[in-house]
Amino acid sequence: MIRYAAARVLAGIPTLLLVSVFIFSLAHITPGDPAILLAGDNATPSQVAEIRSRLHLDLPLVQQFGIWLGNALRFDLGNSIYSGKPVTELIAQRIEPTLVLSFVTLLLTVLVAVPLGAVSAWKANSIIDRISMGIAVAGFSIPVFVIAYLLVYLFAVKLRLFPVQGYKWLADGWIATLNSVTLPAIALAFVFSALIARVTRASVLEALGENYIRTAHAKGLGAPRILFVHALRSVGVPVITVIGIGFATLVGGVVVTESVFNIPGIGRLTVDAVTRRDYPVIQGVILFFSVALIFINLLVDLSYAFIDPRIRG
Amino acid sequence: MPRHLFRAVGLAVLMVTAQAASAEETLRLRMNGDVNVLDPISTTNFTIRNASYLMFDTLFAMDEDYKVQPQMAEGADVSDDGLVYTITLRDGLKFHDGSPVTAEDAVASIKRWGTVDGLGKILFSKTASLEATDDKTIVLTLNEPWGLVLDALGKISSNVPVIMPAEQAAKPASEAVTEPIGSGPYKLLPDEWVPGSIVVFEKFDDYVPRGEPASLAAGGKVAHFDKVEIQYIPDTATAINALIAGEIDWIEEVPADMLMFFDGVETAKTVAARQSGNSAQLVVNHLNPPFDNPKIRHALQLAVEQTPFLQAAFGDATDSYLECAAVFFCDTPYASDINTDRVLKRDPEAARKLLEEAGYDGTPVLIMHVTDIASQDNFYSVLAPMLKEAGFNVDVQPTDWATVATRRASKEPVENGGWNVFFTGWGFVDQSNPMTNVYVSGDCDNAWFGWACSERLQELRTQFAVATSEEERKKLATEMQEITHDLVSYVPLGQAFPSVGLSTDLKGYIDGPVPFFWNLERTH
Repeated sequence: MIRYAAARVLAGIPTLLLVSVFIFSLAHITPGDPAILLAGDNATPSQVAEIRSRLHLDLPLVQQFGIWLGNALRFDLGNSIYSGKPVTELIAQRIEPTLVLSFVTLLLTVLVAVPLGAVSAWKANSIIDRISMGIAVAGFSIPVFVIAYLLVYLFAVKLRLFPVQGYKWLADGWIATLNSVTLPAIALAFVFSALIARVTRASVLEALGENYIRTAHAKGLGAPRILFVHALRSVGVPVITVIGIGFATLVGGVVVTESVFNIPGIGRLTVDAVTRRDYPVIQGVILFFSVALIFINLLVDLSYAFIDPRIRG
Repeated sequence: MPRHLFRAVGLAVLMVTAQAASAEETLRLRMNGDVNVLDPISTTNFTIRNASYLMFDTLFAMDEDYKVQPQMAEGADVSDDGLVYTITLRDGLKFHDGSPVTAEDAVASIKRWGTVDGLGKILFSKTASLEATDDKTIVLTLNEPWGLVLDALGKISSNVPVIMPAEQAAKPASEAVTEPIGSGPYKLLPDEWVPGSIVVFEKFDDYVPRGEPASLAAGGKVAHFDKVEIQYIPDTATAINALIAGEIDWIEEVPADMLMFFDGVETAKTVAARQSGNSAQLVVNHLNPPFDNPKIRHALQLAVEQTPFLQAAFGDATDSYLECAAVFFCDTPYASDINTDRVLKRDPEAARKLLEEAGYDGTPVLIMHVTDIASQDNFYSVLAPMLKEAGFNVDVQPTDWATVATRRASKEPVENGGWNVFFTGWGFVDQSNPMTNVYVSGDCDNAWFGWACSERLQELRTQFAVATSEEERKKLATEMQEITHDLVSYVPLGQAFPSVGLSTDLKGYIDGPVPFFWNLERTH
């Protein structure tokens, strides 16, 4: 088991290196000069040139990459061109909101989507199935910002139950935190519930046709027990895979939601860095995402072994 | 989740926030941009300028009649020959780290500012020496008399000559100070500053405001709030909802198409800020064909007119804009009608004729259509059809602002990454002053992007700097406008008066070209 895990971690290293080269090239090939954006809208060309040389943006690209890689190996991701702060500090500041939002979303998603998918499969082609899957299709068809604005209008502006925007830190009390991420989490959960509900339905439907389910019926077991213990457990692998991918997407891809609800998470850090051509932050964040993705995949792989005894062997 | 649980969580939080609110008064602001640095010398960015006014103070400042008044200075004595300025600091000035503000700090700060600011550079080109003769006295000695010394030191917009400790002012101006220390009415809380999200200030208890009432940047800066937060809320609709819900108190700019959000709302209102207008321009590159030909530049002037651009930007909100082709803004001391006909009236036929006369060979005009900034996106959509109708060939390339901001600095031909035209905007303060208006410099290779070249403009500017009477200045400014429109440094697209969004429980808001937050207080 440990050897299995170690091999998975080692396999991630070349991936990280490749990603670094790719992102470095992509960021620098994109037209746009951070020095100009930094100098301000009405700056003179000489102010810009001075800033460019101070940031070493006038060095050859290969040399710039070499410097960055050397520092990254010592866990120094450099300083943001835009704010002058260390990239590691910027990422650290942004992890909490993104993680909290992702966890709450995931929790909502699993609580809603897995039972929904299972019941739809059990009552396949019934009216319950049609309605649940209809909602699921709507969930991933409506853009998340539309759902977000509707939720804000209803629950924040009209009913005043939740704040319109902003994030409250865990250090200031978890109730406030939960309150501040409820609406964004619901908006995101809409999208992910749809995906997971459909995958669960398909997998459970397949499992329900298996012989061991027929055996369970023959033993006289009740429907809930057959559905939630026997059938659902056996479809853990595909469902957990989708949840894992979903979580990874959440950590990296909640940009729209973070913008609409003004949550200072990693997604917004990334988009802001791209529009500002803040190369060290772009590179640092992508590296962070790559590590996070590899880690989540590892967790998913290890959980297979936990759920499915055949893999453990 | 059952509905009552939602409500329970909501209520619990309402109680928590209500408690916090009674403990201290916080003013929450949403500016157009993010506060990434707090060093208004290292950048001309207006958001940084606005935020810096909270924590920094200046020697002199402009009042609501656009007259310069002493602020940190007790006053200034000018020698009879106009060459020596003796400036004394007033008592009780302290930096936020507790150390006293000395003349040496002021000298170092002014010198740093003088290396980057347009007016500052002119000041230092005329300065023989600037030194601190004791802790409270600054002596500035000029080579030749110059009437704008105090106007420069009391400059209200970027770069604002703020005073910081001498050791921080020792940094080159291109490098932002990372742990800024000011001496203004509010003090930065560095630990609560998250670039890209929020910056927090608290009232500086040792600040001694002047005795006079607040008047624009001058007068007593009285801080009525315990804390001031500047939140970076990227989404404008979210910011407006937050203002209406009472989560924030002020929005720098409410776009014209969102003014209706405030209909029937009691908690917040909008104020069309007449004084803080800005202007839009189409900047023309004089180095690249076809606009290296003066006749073709004239044809460009005839091809466009302001109204469609203003309508595209403001829709029905006619209060929000003004057609104006005065180089130094309309309704200002140097406003003039001279030579504005050729700008204000669109005449595609005449433009076609001019193109023919000029032997236009069909060289396409590159239009770098910025799509990531809504107002610019609208402008570019209006521009292309107008140029086509007047007989120009156009090459429209969609792009983003960051790319255009980079590309506009290139003097290369279009095919090597150069450019023909781009849209930009400047504020009232910079444009209304012939010393800071970039379009009247005529400075050729050293001019602002576009590199319009005119020896006569350079002469006029030099004369303006030493002119002693207001009539003389007005006359020079009028001739500058005449030449600028002949030269087509740019095509003016009118003036705008953006609306500020304001919580209705605030009073004492100062309407000006730069937003200030002293004097402001809550009514309950």
